[in-house]
Amino acid sequence: MLSIRQLSIRSGAKKLVDNVSLSIREGDWYALVGQSGSGKTLLSQAIGRMLPPNLQAEGSIFYKERDVLALSSEQMRTIRGSKLSYVFQDYQGSFTPFRTIGQHFEEYQKAHGCFDSRARQRNALDALDSVGLDESVYKRYPFQLSGGQLQRVSIAVALLLSPDLLIADEITTALDSVSGHRIMEFLAKRQKETGFAILFITHDWRPVKRYANRIAVMKEGQVVEAGEKEHVLDHPQHAYTKQLINAAPTLDRVLAASREEAEIV
Amino acid sequence: MKLLTVKNLTKSYQGQKTAVHPLSFDLHQGECLGLVGESGCGKSTLARCLLRIETIDGGSIYFKNEAIERLNERQLHAYRQKMQIVLQNPSAALNPKLKIKDSLIDPYEQYRKELSLRYFSYTSKKAFIKQLLDAVQLPESLADRYPHELSGGQRQRVTIARAISIEPELLVLDEPTASLDVISQGAVLALLAELRLSLNLSYLFISHDLAAVAQMSGRILVMKEGRLVDQFHRDQLMSDERHPYTKELISIFSS
Amino acid sequence: MKGWSLPWPKANKRRWLGAVAWLCVLLVGIVAIYAFFVLRHDPTLTNLDHRLQGGSLQHPLGTDQLGRDVLTRLLLGGQQTIGYSLLALTVSLVIGIPFGLISGFRRGLVDRIFMRIADGFLAFPDTIVAIVLSGLLGAGIGNLVLAIVIVKWVSYARLVRSTVLAESQKDYVLIARTNGLSPGKIMRKHLFPHIAGHVLVLASLDLGKVILLISAFSYIGLGAQPPTPEWGAMLNDARPYFQSKPEFMIYPGLAIVVTVLLTNMLGDYLRDRFDVKKEVQS
Repeated sequence: MLSIRQLSIRSGAKKLVDNVSLSIREGDWYALVGQSGSGKTLLSQAIGRMLPPNLQAEGSIFYKERDVLALSSEQMRTIRGSKLSYVFQDYQGSFTPFRTIGQHFEEYQKAHGCFDSRARQRNALDALDSVGLDESVYKRYPFQLSGGQLQRVSIAVALLLSPDLLIADEITTALDSVSGHRIMEFLAKRQKETGFAILFITHDWRPVKRYANRIAVMKEGQVVEAGEKEHVLDHPQHAYTKQLINAAPTLDRVLAASREEAEIV
Repeated sequence: MKLLTVKNLTKSYQGQKTAVHPLSFDLHQGECLGLVGESGCGKSTLARCLLRIETIDGGSIYFKNEAIERLNERQLHAYRQKMQIVLQNPSAALNPKLKIKDSLIDPYEQYRKELSLRYFSYTSKKAFIKQLLDAVQLPESLADRYPHELSGGQRQRVTIARAISIEPELLVLDEPTASLDVISQGAVLALLAELRLSLNLSYLFISHDLAAVAQMSGRILVMKEGRLVDQFHRDQLMSDERHPYTKELISIFSS
Repeated sequence: MKGWSLPWPKANKRRWLGAVAWLCVLLVGIVAIYAFFVLRHDPTLTNLDHRLQGGSLQHPLGTDQLGRDVLTRLLLGGQQTIGYSLLALTVSLVIGIPFGLISGFRRGLVDRIFMRIADGFLAFPDTIVAIVLSGLLGAGIGNLVLAIVIVKWVSYARLVRSTVLAESQKDYVLIARTNGLSPGKIMRKHLFPHIAGHVLVLASLDLGKVILLISAFSYIGLGAQPPTPEWGAMLNDARPYFQSKPEFMIYPGLAIVVTVLLTNMLGDYLRDRFDVKKEVQS
């Protein structure tokens, strides 16, 4: 459905993303794992043609037979939001502080051509319900909600027009593990209901292991390893992937280690 | 021996609901006590109360059997040398306008009169800073740099070096790896584990990451909405006796 | 001071502007000081036989309407103008910076009281204060400086206060306090480097304004009194002779314009140099 072919992004002479190719099929949960500076965010921005103006992109990104990089801005605008939507890390910054959540929904729908106000409200309340938030959130202001709640609203808005691809850029990085887990559960649930694909960008593969089916590892602008989740995580080939997997503690490893200690004793 | 004893500690913020309900626990010398909970559960508030950065509304805190909850700032000075804190955000914990060496020397300059160092020795500022940077596995050349020239992991190591520079007995670590990338997280945790043994420290390790807490700690406390809901030894983590909330955390972290 | 380095221009082509500005200000300063030793003529000695002469070897810029050497008066005038401007600014800084530091660091009641005082002073526009003071205490450059100080110190206090308010919330100040650093030490070691840049920029931009203010007031007779040489006063003195000897107005006028231009350039350069966003971005 989305096929990135030999994409490079430059700033002057410097290559920030170097010859990356990957493809996302319908219904995939594709995890893109990399540290800050690896180019993963730039890659996601390129898909939506949202790169900062001083960067140039070479190569092609095919969304259903059309090269996104070759489209006009008019055409791009119809795709963004309705076929392709984003959720970002900064949940506070994604909202206008002096407008209620309901007003955000209104604005979004009006921009995409929904003119019936009753339908808009219904859609908004349904969307909130689908991410486990009740109606009272509709009238609240962003500062009255927690990070986890705001992030769920962002997801609800992003999924409002039933896009084919949701790009989630570090959406759980700023949240604690419990809130992050809840977010991912809702995302998985919605995905099962509607079948959209997810490009999940993160620096920490551990929370996403349960949900993703495919993984790509990025380092310094290049994809060093990619494939089905089990292949990459259980049988990593590249040294960097191995380093990434072994770096931070997982409960399984910790428990296995303490069991070994107990056996020795 | 009990290094820290907390009895019925309570804390609430003006006009808001109670942040910490009556809470009691002990911390033994030489151990790493883990505290796990989600954001907003009061664990950071608790940490600040222990260090007397916040005032307490009720209960008592004993450091080596001496009550410290009512001491004034001057009396607390001696205790502050023995209890240090490492916070979550290393960018905010270092003055961006000062070189690393100037940030590192701060605690030593405050406590040098009362201090008798065992692991570090002070011959000159430069030598002292080098020892500190060595202890956290950073090159000496970083001493003359500014915080923005360092990576997140390096900055966190610097804050750790600053905290251990006066050889405290207890280090409270409030989400020390939360702002770091995965690889730096692993490295910093390994460093902390090593330092605890080589400098004979005790830790209160606070995090929302159950895996990290389980790796670092011998005993674990679980906090939810200001209350201590579970307390157990790491080996008992998978036991059936665990509180439902603990079990929920376990399921989140198991894959 | 720890953590604060002199703003030398970096090796960057754009910075030549700054380097030139620095050099010129230095030059002006040196010239003004050296005037003391290089002078051959008494700037106030009148010699009506030699009045209104044009340029010559003895008097490179000629003599004014009372026979005094113009070049000498110009140089000494620079001393007066720039010197008193610097004095006004320095006193404003000496009052404003501690005010802002204490207000921003202590917060609470102290902050509120200090700020109400500052607001009170802010209510006076400098021009009116200068005129009133001159009326009350008599015309003179000292009173002019006083008027300027009364109005200017507040902007420095507020600048310092807002920076201190923002920084003192940060963790590193909390940790410093927890470790027992005294407020004085925190202000000196940790907070001062933050305000130094901003204050320097504001002061260098203000320098131009103050020079103009002093010159303007001296022009209308409320600042430097005769026979003190001062650029604004010299402008005023040369007015009646504008048609016959326009250069007597041009010299001091040009001096004012060039100096103010240079200080503004310096201020712009300093603002660029100190606009270090990198520590915020990382």
